[in-house]
Amino acid sequence: MWSYALRRVLMTIPTLLLVITVCYLMLHATPGGPFDTERKVSAAVMANLQAKYHLDLPLWQQYLLYLKSLLQGDLGASFRYADWSVNELVGNALPVSLAIGGGALLLSVIIGVALGIVAALRQNSLIDYFVMLVGNLGSAFPSFVIGPVLILLFAIWLSVLPAGGWNDFDPRYMVLPIALLTFINVSTIGRVMRGSLIEVLNSNFIRTARAKGLPLSTIVFRHALKPALMPVVSVLGPLAISSITSAVVTESVFSLPGLGKLIINGASNRDYTLVLGLVVLVTVFAVILNLLVDLAYAYLDPKIRY
Amino acid sequence: MKKTMTISVLAASVALGLGVSGAAFAAKIPAGTPLAAKQEIVRNNGSEAESLDPAIAESVGANNLVRDLFEGLTATDNEGRVVPGVAESWKQKDPTTWVFTLRKNAKWSDGSSVTADDFVYGIRRFLDPKTASTYATTYGAFLLNGVEAAEGKKPVSDVGVKALDKFTLEIKTPYPVAFLPEVVSNGQLGPAPKAAIDKFGKDWVKPGNMVSNGAFVLKEWQVNSKVVLAKNPQYWDNKNVQLTRVTYLPIEDGFADVKMFLSGENDWVYQLPPGTYEKYKAELPKDIRNAPMLGLRYYGLNHKDPVMKDVRVRKALSMVIDRDILAAKITADGQVPAYSAIVRGTSGADVTSYDWAKWPMAQRVAEAKKLLAAAGLKPGSKVKFSYNTSEYHKKMAIFAASEWKTKLGLNTELENMEFKVLLKKRHDGDYQIGRNGWVADYNDASTFLTLVQCGSEQNDNFNCNPKAEALIKQGNQAQNPAQRKQLLTQATKLIMDDYPMIPLLQYTVPRLVKSYVGGYTTKNPMDRYRSKDLYIIKH
Repeated sequence: MWSYALRRVLMTIPTLLLVITVCYLMLHATPGGPFDTERKVSAAVMANLQAKYHLDLPLWQQYLLYLKSLLQGDLGASFRYADWSVNELVGNALPVSLAIGGGALLLSVIIGVALGIVAALRQNSLIDYFVMLVGNLGSAFPSFVIGPVLILLFAIWLSVLPAGGWNDFDPRYMVLPIALLTFINVSTIGRVMRGSLIEVLNSNFIRTARAKGLPLSTIVFRHALKPALMPVVSVLGPLAISSITSAVVTESVFSLPGLGKLIINGASNRDYTLVLGLVVLVTVFAVILNLLVDLAYAYLDPKIRY
Repeated sequence: MKKTMTISVLAASVALGLGVSGAAFAAKIPAGTPLAAKQEIVRNNGSEAESLDPAIAESVGANNLVRDLFEGLTATDNEGRVVPGVAESWKQKDPTTWVFTLRKNAKWSDGSSVTADDFVYGIRRFLDPKTASTYATTYGAFLLNGVEAAEGKKPVSDVGVKALDKFTLEIKTPYPVAFLPEVVSNGQLGPAPKAAIDKFGKDWVKPGNMVSNGAFVLKEWQVNSKVVLAKNPQYWDNKNVQLTRVTYLPIEDGFADVKMFLSGENDWVYQLPPGTYEKYKAELPKDIRNAPMLGLRYYGLNHKDPVMKDVRVRKALSMVIDRDILAAKITADGQVPAYSAIVRGTSGADVTSYDWAKWPMAQRVAEAKKLLAAAGLKPGSKVKFSYNTSEYHKKMAIFAASEWKTKLGLNTELENMEFKVLLKKRHDGDYQIGRNGWVADYNDASTFLTLVQCGSEQNDNFNCNPKAEALIKQGNQAQNPAQRKQLLTQATKLIMDDYPMIPLLQYTVPRLVKSYVGGYTTKNPMDRYRSKDLYIIKH
């Protein structure tokens, strides 16, 4: 298994190189540059700016320079945030995104799996309908609708939580964004878990277990849960990545200083280095998460061996 | 000619600027106003500052922070008047030479004195091509050899800034710049702390490293979260600074901004989201603030375009847009109809207008139809309007398109795009009619004239009126402000009669500010509020 993992990690290098190259070319092909603003700067000032950030060099030279500094672990200087390096910006935003995204993911797995199990065991009961309703609501309402409603309720009407902002991991500022993301993720995980468990419970080996007279709890937790978790694990990878990348809306609604904010500002300001740095980060994340998911399959399904 | 002149522009600054030293200029609190025990404010700044380095700061938000952290030779107060800063007085020695006398008790936050050399260093650093400040040629244009230095054609040591002694600074301008005292209130032309910059390099602006000379010092800076400032105990006018802590937020989402205001986490909404002004005016009458500022919304007309190069077409398009309805019903946020490139409240020129602005609409339409017919543009013809994606711009664009359709029979193709793409198209002249806007950098007509002057970088219309250009040149050389004003007004009128653009509305800043925030006025045309001038009323 370790050699498999190592091979997968090594495979990341060509993937990363491809992603960086494509992204690099796309960024430079987009009309408008980092220093195009409402106040057009004079040709001489533009030349000063380009020289300062090596944008005056031929594109291939800039590309090689970028790769060289990347190898040294330096993601470059930001154009939009002139006083900061991309490393510093990512270093500041990543813990915020991890706390919100990771916290929400953990909670969603616990709540989603639990609700899915209950709904599957009580199929077509009131509890099942309730779980499905919550699931459908979470999928149907976009976060930019639920978020402001949460703020209105808890921050403005009840005045028990702040309406937004961030204060050094102060839990009060994390409750609403985590609640929002959890609500949305639970809907996915809960529905997948319910469907998958129902299918497993109808399979032959469960019928055998029932025939042997095993108690329900043993059937569910020892025999049915593992195979039923497979589809849930499959959706976890994409969910985890999207809790970082699609956190843009959550971060905007709650004014959080996370990675989503950087991605949006980076792209709209043509902050080439910032966007590339974030793309590298997200790619590495995606590769690692996919690897973890694949390794989890081996644990859950005895048929899979690496 | 060598005669000593007194300051000839900005009457208020004359009164305040000469022979006064060490007097209190900040936080003029009306007698009997009870102050809150806790003097702390949270201001939303609209976006994350791109830099806290005064030489590099470009956006409104970054400059707001720079004005709190640093102080230039002069400053502007909460009513937009020029007041002494580090300079306690100044004189215009001859038409192009100014002498500023610095106060001896002005200190950096590390306790050292602010000297004339700090200004020389700061200004040279700002203009140095290596610094690559986007404002280098904008403000450099007011200093002798400033533009040449910014362009690398002359060494920065040739710039017309000289320390006559430790506390006397001489500034030479390329032509008589009567409004220089206001220009030097900008942080870009302020002092810089050489020792700290040499020691920390780019990181000198970070908390713990920054040495500043303003009313506040940098305490904390979390990107995209907040910048926290604390009262500067070394500041020369420290006893007149009320606020002990100022928190700047970088919230861009207008609705999130308002929600934090309503929940009490924010005292100052940067700008109300479009379409909400009337609602909050009714709901929060004590907190709503709205005042015109020196800014213009306009549509640029590309003179390189075969249809738009005909002045009759440009005139017809401008005539039929009913600015009154646009202001009252479409944007509905208190903005003022505009008919000139220069807006009300601008020094240095009078606002011009068109005769037809007072005609009944039917007469305007009839005249516009005649013009279009003469130009050969038949009803049913197509024009193309480009704008950057935003609800606000879209509303205005749909209104303009409907005016052109119903009154002139023209079909408008609305093309929306991302902001940077629009900028590129505008700068490259790859458009027909384009959304545009401008906010003054300093209170003088010349900032607005850059939008319509021959060969100006800000002129996306690519129009040029050589006669007007000559008048502007003549005006800038004039030593008599009244004469300059007359020449610049005349030039503006000439240019506007060529219809280079469609002026639409003068900007206002509709926002919410808690009623207990003292020092906020509606008479601040540049919308520049130093936290020094603010205080918290007991509530």
